[in-house]
Formats: sequence, C-alpha cells, structure tokens
Amino acid sequence: MAALALRPQRPVQQHGSRRSPALWPAGGTVLLLAVVSLFVGVSDVSPADLLAGDAGAWQTFLVSRVPRTLALVLAGVALSIAGFILQLMARNRFVEPSTVGTVESATAGILVATLVLPGAPIMGKMLVAAVFAMAGTALFLTVLRRIPLRNTLIVPLVGIMLGGVIASVTTFVAYRFDLLQTLNTWMIGDFSGLVRGRYELLWIVAVLAVVGYLCADRFTVAGMGEEFTTNLGLDYRRTMNLGLVLVSLISAVVVVVVGAVPFLGLIVPNLVSLLIGDNVRRAVPWIAVVGAGFVLACDILGRIIRFPYEVPVGVIVSVVGSILFITLLVRRNAGAR
Amino acid sequence: MSHVRLAVLSAAAAATLALTACGGSSDAAGESAASPTVPIEHAQGTTEVPVDPQTVFTFDLGALDTLDALGVEVDGVPQGTLPAQLSAYEGGDITAIGSMKEPDFEAIAAAAPDLIIISGRVADSYDELSAIAPTIDLSIDAADPMASFAEHTESLGRIFGVEEEVADRLAALDAAIAGTKDAAASAGDALVLMTSAGEVTAYGAGSRFGLIHDVLGVEPAAEVTHEGTHGEAVSFEYIAEVDPAHLFVIDRDAAIGEAGAAGAAVLDNDLVNGTTAARNGAITYLDSASWYLIGYGLDNLDAMVSAVDDAVTD
Repeated sequence: MAALALRPQRPVQQHGSRRSPALWPAGGTVLLLAVVSLFVGVSDVSPADLLAGDAGAWQTFLVSRVPRTLALVLAGVALSIAGFILQLMARNRFVEPSTVGTVESATAGILVATLVLPGAPIMGKMLVAAVFAMAGTALFLTVLRRIPLRNTLIVPLVGIMLGGVIASVTTFVAYRFDLLQTLNTWMIGDFSGLVRGRYELLWIVAVLAVVGYLCADRFTVAGMGEEFTTNLGLDYRRTMNLGLVLVSLISAVVVVVVGAVPFLGLIVPNLVSLLIGDNVRRAVPWIAVVGAGFVLACDILGRIIRFPYEVPVGVIVSVVGSILFITLLVRRNAGAR
Repeated sequence: MSHVRLAVLSAAAAATLALTACGGSSDAAGESAASPTVPIEHAQGTTEVPVDPQTVFTFDLGALDTLDALGVEVDGVPQGTLPAQLSAYEGGDITAIGSMKEPDFEAIAAAAPDLIIISGRVADSYDELSAIAPTIDLSIDAADPMASFAEHTESLGRIFGVEEEVADRLAALDAAIAGTKDAAASAGDALVLMTSAGEVTAYGAGSRFGLIHDVLGVEPAAEVTHEGTHGEAVSFEYIAEVDPAHLFVIDRDAAIGEAGAAGAAVLDNDLVNGTTAARNGAITYLDSASWYLIGYGLDNLDAMVSAVDDAVTD
C-alpha cells in the first residue's frame, strides 16, 4: 500500500507509443451484456416472442426491460466519468463521489427535501439534493486546499471522514423522524423500481457525462493548481466550478433515481488506467464502456442469484468492487517490486 | 465498543438502584413483602410480576394498545414516533423511556417502575432492564401469532386483574377472525407488499405480516420464503407475473405524508396496473402505523382484521 501510495501517476502515453487494446471489442462485449440484460427477468420475454409479436412480451419489454437496461448504462457511464473527473480535480486516484462526501451530501439533501417538502415533485427533491451535493463537494475541495501535505492517502481519508460526519448527521435526523429504512433505500443503489416513466431523469446525467468528456483535459490542468492553470491561460475558478457542478449533479441525480452505487467511480478509472495508461482524452470513452459493462454485469448477477427476488446492485457492486480493488492494489504493488 | 457501553449503562443503572434503595429502603422492603406477585411466562423466561403494578412502562406498542383497551394506566412509553392511534401517550405525565429501539436506562432507573414490558425491538436489553424492574418480553411468536398473542393478553389480564374482560375480548376477536376467514376462503389469492422510497418488498406466510395468510386464511399468491423482517425485494415484473387477485400494501413512506399516496404513486405503472388486483380495484392500502408499528394489540388487531375483512368481502 505504501509503495503504491508514493508512486507518482504514470506519465501520459503518446499515441501509438504502446500497443493498447482496441475499444471496439470491449464495446461489443458491453453491447452483448446489454442484450442479456434485456432478456433476464421474472416474466418470460424471449427474442422469439418479440418477433412473433406477442403483445404481453412487448409490453414487459418496453415498460420494464428497455428502461432498466438504459438506466444501467446511463448510470454506469455517468458515475464512472464523475469519479474520473473528481480524481483529476483532486489529483488523486483514490477519490470518488462516495468517498469525498458528495453522495452523503446528496442523501442529506433528499432527506431534507422529504421532510420539509414531502409533496414536492421529484425534480424539486433532486435540485435540493444537487445543491447539497455541491456544498459537500465544495467543502471537501476547500478542506483539501488547506491541507499542507497532500499525501495520496490523506486525501481520500479526509474525504471519508467528511462523508462520515455528514452521513452521521443525516442518520441522526432520519432516526429522529423514523426514516432510517427510507434512508437505507437511498444508500443502496437498486434498479428494481425502474420502469418506463421512472428512469428518464437519468438522461440528464448522459448530457452531463458528455460535457465531462469534452472538458476532461481542463480538469487535468486545474488539478495542477491555481497558478499553473492561470499560467496556461485557463480560468481556474470557472473550471473547478464546472467540475464541481458536473460531479455533484451526476451524483445527485443517480442517488435520487437509483440510490448510491459505491466504488464504481473508483474502480473503473483505475482499471482503465491499467489497461491503456493515463491519456485523459483516450481514457474517457474507455471509462464509459467499462463503467456501463460493470454495472450491467453486476445487475444481471443481482437478478439471477436469488431469482425471482433481487439483490440490489449496490450490494453486488460493493462486493465485486472491493474484491477487484484489492486485487488491483496487490497486483500493482507486486509489479512495483 | 457496545459491551463497554452496556457495562457503563448497567453500572449506572445499578448505582441508581442502590441509591434509591438506600433512600427509601424501609418502604421498598415493606412493599415488596406485602404485595403479592404472579409468575408470568414470556419469551425470555418466567418473571415474578407484582399484581396490579402501579408504575408500568412498555416498549411494545401492541401491549400499550392492549392495556389502553383494558383501561389500564400506562406511565412510560417510547416517545417521538407514536402513531396517531396512541397519541394520547405523547408527552404530558408520561415518562419518556427512550426510543422504540433504544431504552433510556437512566430515565427508567430514575422512575423506578414496577413493571417493564418489552418486545423484539429492545429484546436485547432484557438483562439490563431486568436489573431495574421486573421485565417481561411479550414478543409475538411468528410461528403461531394468535396463540402467542392470546397467551400474552391473558398474562396481562392476570397481572392487572381483568381476566374476564380479556376472555370476552379474545372471544369477540376470535369470532371476527372466523367471519373474515369465511369470506377470505372464496376471495382468491393475495400478495402482501411494502413500499418504501420507490422500492417494493414482498412478504409471505409466516412473515411479520403473515396475519393475512396464517391467521385470516387469505391464500398466498406466491411463496415468499424469506426469513427476516424486511421482506424480499421484488420487481414490478414479479408482481405482474404473480398476478394476485388482491394486493395488500403497507406504505412505509406514509409515516411522513398522506397514507397510501406515496405507495400508490410507486405502484402506478403499466405492469402493476395490468394485474387482476388492479383491474378489479382490489389494492388495499393498509394503515402503516397499525401494521408496522403497533401490531398485535387488542384494539389494533380488531382494526387490522376489519381492514382485511373489508378487502375480501365485496
């Protein structure tokens, strides 16, 4: 761990300087997973039924399967990119929205919205969640700027502590108002409730993810510090604020619609960095593809394990993600020796 | 960590006890010698309970409902989350004894009750509470809920000397259950769901909401076998596939809004709307406080049985 922590980020690879895997087979695999996801479920829906024009099968397909699969892809892509942007901004590989207080703040926001405006439409609750998420992330970045020693491990530790403080206040309030179990459903991501009419808000995060892709270079620069950024002729404050808004909005929307999916923003960018190195522009499409595939695979697993009941995707991602992450750490360390 | 906390708390409780014992040792001793006791069997053993105890604390809202129905004065209940049915026990002269899950040991010890009634949510605190006052655990046995409810209620009748009234009430309840059972036999199958923040869990026979199937004889539409208090997470496809004739919904979100409104919004989609229950208008939103918080109590059970009765007799 220590050896890894002290290792600098790998230098940016030049195009073509190293043979890297091609994107299209990976994309194909994810597409295949998406197709599998479309045909896994409690009701019988087979491609043959659809071709035969079975009305019931088509209804289940359009109301339940397609929305769920789209939601999985959108959330997977956006959360992974959000994690990546945050890592660029904090210049640290070990942060992601759920380890710097963003997700905890968004959850606090929904709780406040639920208590103060129980009848508000979901958009209103989401906006409150987003404002809270931004405040929480901004607080983290401010605290980070005040820390003299930006050791690789100190940064996520500060974030986890900050998130812990916010989460404990949220839990206390939820406890007082008998909302602990409701809080639980926000803290564990679950796609089982997503049908037509329930997932569409996730298209917002798709737009945000595209903006993130277009601006990825800027966040790298901004992560280098205010002076450096200004010297390169980039508006530091504006860039940092843009990143803040992107990460917070993505987290808030996903928490409101699906619930928290931890680890994703941490694992996927690290996996991609291992695969293709640290070229930011080239990494983002990979992160999108791997993120979508990871969430799809975990959700399919969750639907199969206890069929016909479901294991929430948040639980599966946590288990698979932590195993994967430890493996990554150990293998990287072994390579360093 | 929690061991340390418990140890500190029990030490505090013991110290308080010792202090109160020193303060009024003569009359405490006199009282316990004079007042008769009755052995009460409960989920964690047998406890000698003083007959007609003066100061009674209960963590179990079902027992509170029963005592309320029997006209017994209760002096301490958990504060903060009392449902509307029991709002008379909010504040006033009532001693706040903690929350439904965490006893306030100091407040309880300071008030020196004569009887403490607990159930599942604070069952782990039995030893600490027993050190303060005679404590009985009236948890309902999910394997045979009605028998265990009747037993508990008869125990309360013996403690407070209202055995006849208890017998009458239990007989009336049995009659109501028998009537609902007849109606349920021809009403078709049902699925019990709980909605919480947009997600849905299912409960089957033998679960905490098993009353519907196990006691009232409504045919389960699916075999939901999970052992635990929070049900099985299910998708809307599952509900469509099970296609029950009746849906019973416990809306957990109703705690903060209008009963049934949040749950109805969750279930209003093409898949659920296509089920037999939805087409026949046979979706019943159960009172979440009644089913989720209070449970087995004399008045409340009456209310629960009649809610199911209304649903199965049209």
